[in-house]
Amino acid sequence: MTDKNEIVIALLGQPNSGKSTLFNGLTGLRQHVGNWPGKTVEKKEGSFTHGDKKYLVADLPGTYSLSANSDEEIITRDYIASGKADVVCILADSSQLERSLYMLSDFAGIEVPCFLLLNMSDVAKDQGKDINAKEMEDKLGIPVVLFSAPEVKKYDSFYTALEQAVDGKTVLDTSSLEKKFRDIPEYSEIRNTIGDYKDGNRTGMWLAVKALEGDEPVTAKIKAELGNEKASELSSVLSKCDKGIVKAGECKFAWIDELTADSVRKEKKDAGLGKFDRLITHRIWGKPVVVLTILLGLLASFIPALPLMGVGSAIASATAPLNDALLGIGCPSFIAALLCDVFLRCFSFVIQMLGFVFGVTLVFGLLEEIGVMARISYVFDNSMGKLGLQGKSVMPFLISFGCTMGGAAGTRVIDSWGQKVLTIALSWAIPCGAAWAVVPMLSTLFFGAWTPVIITVILIVMILHMWLTAKLFGRSLVKPSERCGMIMELPPYHKPKWGSLFRFVFGRTKDTFFRSFKVVLIVAVVFWLLSFTSTGTAGDSILFKVGHVIEPVTMVFGMKWQTFVAFIASSLGKEGALGVLSTIFSGTGSITIGSMQSADKAANLNELLLANITKPEALAFIFAITFNMPCIVALAATYQETHSAKWTAIIGSYYTATALVLAGIAYHIGMLIW
Amino acid sequence: MKKLSEMKQGEKGIVSSVNGDARYVGRITSIGITPGCKVSIIKNDKRRPLIVFARDTMIALNEKESSNIEVEEAGA
Repeated sequence: MTDKNEIVIALLGQPNSGKSTLFNGLTGLRQHVGNWPGKTVEKKEGSFTHGDKKYLVADLPGTYSLSANSDEEIITRDYIASGKADVVCILADSSQLERSLYMLSDFAGIEVPCFLLLNMSDVAKDQGKDINAKEMEDKLGIPVVLFSAPEVKKYDSFYTALEQAVDGKTVLDTSSLEKKFRDIPEYSEIRNTIGDYKDGNRTGMWLAVKALEGDEPVTAKIKAELGNEKASELSSVLSKCDKGIVKAGECKFAWIDELTADSVRKEKKDAGLGKFDRLITHRIWGKPVVVLTILLGLLASFIPALPLMGVGSAIASATAPLNDALLGIGCPSFIAALLCDVFLRCFSFVIQMLGFVFGVTLVFGLLEEIGVMARISYVFDNSMGKLGLQGKSVMPFLISFGCTMGGAAGTRVIDSWGQKVLTIALSWAIPCGAAWAVVPMLSTLFFGAWTPVIITVILIVMILHMWLTAKLFGRSLVKPSERCGMIMELPPYHKPKWGSLFRFVFGRTKDTFFRSFKVVLIVAVVFWLLSFTSTGTAGDSILFKVGHVIEPVTMVFGMKWQTFVAFIASSLGKEGALGVLSTIFSGTGSITIGSMQSADKAANLNELLLANITKPEALAFIFAITFNMPCIVALAATYQETHSAKWTAIIGSYYTATALVLAGIAYHIGMLIW
Repeated sequence: MKKLSEMKQGEKGIVSSVNGDARYVGRITSIGITPGCKVSIIKNDKRRPLIVFARDTMIALNEKESSNIEVEEAGA
């Protein structure tokens, strides 16, 4: 119970058990997303009212068990142990019933009221499975519901079971499971050693099984509580235990088999691969099919994205007239500029990017939901494994050729935090659409027919960059000891449930909007202040003065103060690099405007560039902006997905630094050639 | 007795032992591969994860690590 008199429900289930769909279905948009204290794991809470009661739903991280192998698992079990939840709703996937009931067997022994939700019962029915929930209820002593999370209209059975569990305080009957554990001699010894000891809602049985499994935090806690004599007794018992986790696992599954043997009838169906599965898992055709699927998905993302992008550019085009209007009614030019040049332009910029994020989240959320993403992971597991990543990482990489922010949003489907951060870190090295808009043009201007060579070199550098970055960051993000080859279920294909998908996508887009807008606005205001002049002459601003002073240093990287300022500005958005150069060389306009859009170029920009920049400098500049941080929105998205200010800052500064180094190398090679 | 990684498409068997470090064993147990569990090989291509069917679930497993799992064959 919270202090607001809400009944707290914790949702517990393995990844892909449909937990998030249920969470979205229950709470709609009344959700709060944050971090678990001190951790980088996303914390989702939401509320709903049913009858005259208010409920708070905690969507616990999706984990395969309640051991202590990852932050997610520790958060999950500590939350349940804390007693914050009045009732735990345990989800299992009816279409993969036996395996997904493992969570129930791992939970067994924690005395919190609970009920079991057999989700995806519609898919199970299509498989010819007939599940007798009543019989399972009798055996388990808790409500058991056959359920299909996406069908919001049919939530009555959920509410009934919920009320039953809360009112009756139904606790899972573990007697038959404990009997099985008792057959393991080591278990009995541990159990006898710890005697009547209980830890809050965790019974002696649960603690003994965890100790048998070699669970360090639990063992340490028991030892500390029982005193020295018992502790050393326990140590000697545990030292004899071999493969406790396998033995405990055997018991748990034997218990599950017993549970399902009578209650589940299944027509014998051949377990095999469907038509699409045979194609996608094909040795030769698999990879092309996956790449094609992702590219088509990327194209499809633009359909829902375009309207928002249109709105964004419409807002941008309104800034100039608005500025004039404000000045007309006597508004100080400083305020008018701040409002129009900074606030409105940032707003328009974020809205345009948001369109893409919305599209990507929708299309790739859909691929995840229907089960295609798991297959993608399978096909690219080996290739991505070399970078310390999982197969799913291929998808954010491909999206990043279009937009890094979309790529970052796409990493949501990667379930390991370290691999998620590493995927984002690597996807930054992939030149995005904005870079592709600037680089070939600059390259053609300075190097003519050599452009294809330069593009090829950029692509090679990109691959080396990703490889090196994976080596550098991989060690701390995805520790070799934690690198685990693929162990993943391939769920049966599901029909998409649009309602819950859209609720998810809207929620996500809304979050992204507020987070990005804040970051973009802060950075843009700082940048604008640095480049602001009261005289209207660009040369009077702080930025230009500083740029001038440090020119001897920037020349090491092949950049005069003009190109260096353009490079810094390209951190805001690469489209703007040309705009900034145009502003500086023609001496008109404000840099902030230039850096957010590609329009308003000086008509004679080409001549200006050729006259002011040498070939080696141009080469340096091309490499500098290609491998610079993609844009501030990507920075904001990185923060949103990683939940870590530290890693966002590390990745950001790392890219600024490496871009300069690459520019320096390009410059000095260029000096040798020309 | 055969290693899971050496089994061919279409073969069936019963898991007899699971080895490896604690992390691997914990993870493979939680996905349902324990001694006594029936498995059938759906696909086993070179340089790709294996696909097996076990405990009502299609599971993809890393090829190299699957040599930790020993299986008693039970005919095709």
